[in-house]
Amino acid sequence: MKPMLSNEITTADVVDAAAPKTKIEVKNLNFYYGESKALKDITLSLPERSVTAFIGPSGCGKSTLLRVFNRIYELYPRQRADGEVLLDGQNVLDRTQDLNLLRTKIGMVFQKPTPFPMSIYENIAFGIRLYEKLGKTEMDERVEQALKRAALWTEVKDKLDASGTSLSGGQQQRLCIARTVAVKPEVILLDEPCSALDPLSTARIEELIDELQADYTIVIVTHNMQQAARVSAQTAFMYLGELIEFDKTEKIFTSPREKRTQDYITGRFG
Amino acid sequence: MAEHTVASFDEDLAQIGGLIRSMGDLAASMVGAATRALIEADAALAQRVVSDDVLMDARQRELDNRAITVIAKRQPMADDLRAVVGAIRMAGDLERIGDLAKNIAKRVGAVGQGGMPRELAHSIDAMAQLVLIQVQGVAEEYAAGDGKALARLRDDDERIDVKYTSVFRELLTYMMEDPRNITACTHLLFCAKNLERIGDHVTNIAENAYYVLTGDQLPAARPKTDETAMPAPAA
Repeated sequence: MKPMLSNEITTADVVDAAAPKTKIEVKNLNFYYGESKALKDITLSLPERSVTAFIGPSGCGKSTLLRVFNRIYELYPRQRADGEVLLDGQNVLDRTQDLNLLRTKIGMVFQKPTPFPMSIYENIAFGIRLYEKLGKTEMDERVEQALKRAALWTEVKDKLDASGTSLSGGQQQRLCIARTVAVKPEVILLDEPCSALDPLSTARIEELIDELQADYTIVIVTHNMQQAARVSAQTAFMYLGELIEFDKTEKIFTSPREKRTQDYITGRFG
Repeated sequence: MAEHTVASFDEDLAQIGGLIRSMGDLAASMVGAATRALIEADAALAQRVVSDDVLMDARQRELDNRAITVIAKRQPMADDLRAVVGAIRMAGDLERIGDLAKNIAKRVGAVGQGGMPRELAHSIDAMAQLVLIQVQGVAEEYAAGDGKALARLRDDDERIDVKYTSVFRELLTYMMEDPRNITACTHLLFCAKNLERIGDHVTNIAENAYYVLTGDQLPAARPKTDETAMPAPAA
């Protein structure tokens, strides 16, 4: 056993404490839609419990990159990825990766709210039941917990039996986030979660993202640059399937290194 | 730099840039006129500087309004954001330069009554010329987008500080020689201090302009000499 030395902190300890742990590490990732190459040799590291934003013009590959993380692209034919995506050091692109397990670890919320056509309660409980066997009381607790976590509880606690689709757009999106956090993921992928919402609902989601980053690693794809600037700690700018620049968000939006980043975020793009 | 997809955004930024240039030109002309009025005891010229300050204040208000509107309407990013925020800060410094030139102009009457020894007028004039070169230079280099020149210009403020110290000592000598000089010399001392402060504002502008152009801050350390602040040796 290592002897305990009183109050001694080594330099290595300090460095470890200061540098955030990497949650997802992408190495030389390429992605193909049939013959067309949509991602070109992407390499980047996403720190744990932090918000990372992907920005870039339509078709730049930002949503594609997001879809590789939980291998949701495999639902479609002729789409394939090569390279590595390491989640806590494990390559999720590995053939042996259990996809159900992967998708409980990496939850996803889409552009349009996608509530199931069932009650608010069941929208949450449905996912939990796939992975866990819980008694009624425990399940009630989990549903309440998830709805509270998604800042929706006070609005729906008296109508848990109402259909999920009866909620407003913003509430539906928060219901989807509640459904995602209910299965206790480690990473949450948000693909333009606010593009169909009004400013007030958008603010609620952003506030929620701010709270959730204490427990989850969050990746958000957004067309709204101000949103990326507001919610994320680091931002990746992508263009034509390439990662052009990846840096701290304040650096990207005040003095980016690359001219293409600068042109895009200042509205000078061709 | 390429043009914005939204052309009116370019126009908004050009108007802000134009206001900064015109404030810079006005500041230089006010500093030049205030010093000439002081040295030549020209009350009419001094009065013109006082009325120019009203114009300077109006331009600063216009620039502030335009900059705030651009932020609200366009949410500028990166170099655009630096240009807008930098313009607000530079306008603040230019407006202060106008105030300080006006302060000098207001003392013209008080100094003129006593008359100014030729050597002293020469020293003040030399200091004023250094300051004027800085004020004109900072506006020109910003317009030309020359970061290196701005960094040099900031360091050149050292020369003004050195000159100020020597003018300060010279004024003390005149006051000690003949107490009747005290009133005029005190006013001149304030004028010299105002010139030295103008130099400091030019330094701020140069630092801001450098950041706007490059995205980097100039290192904080800069040569600094103001020996007038040193305590007098114990008697």
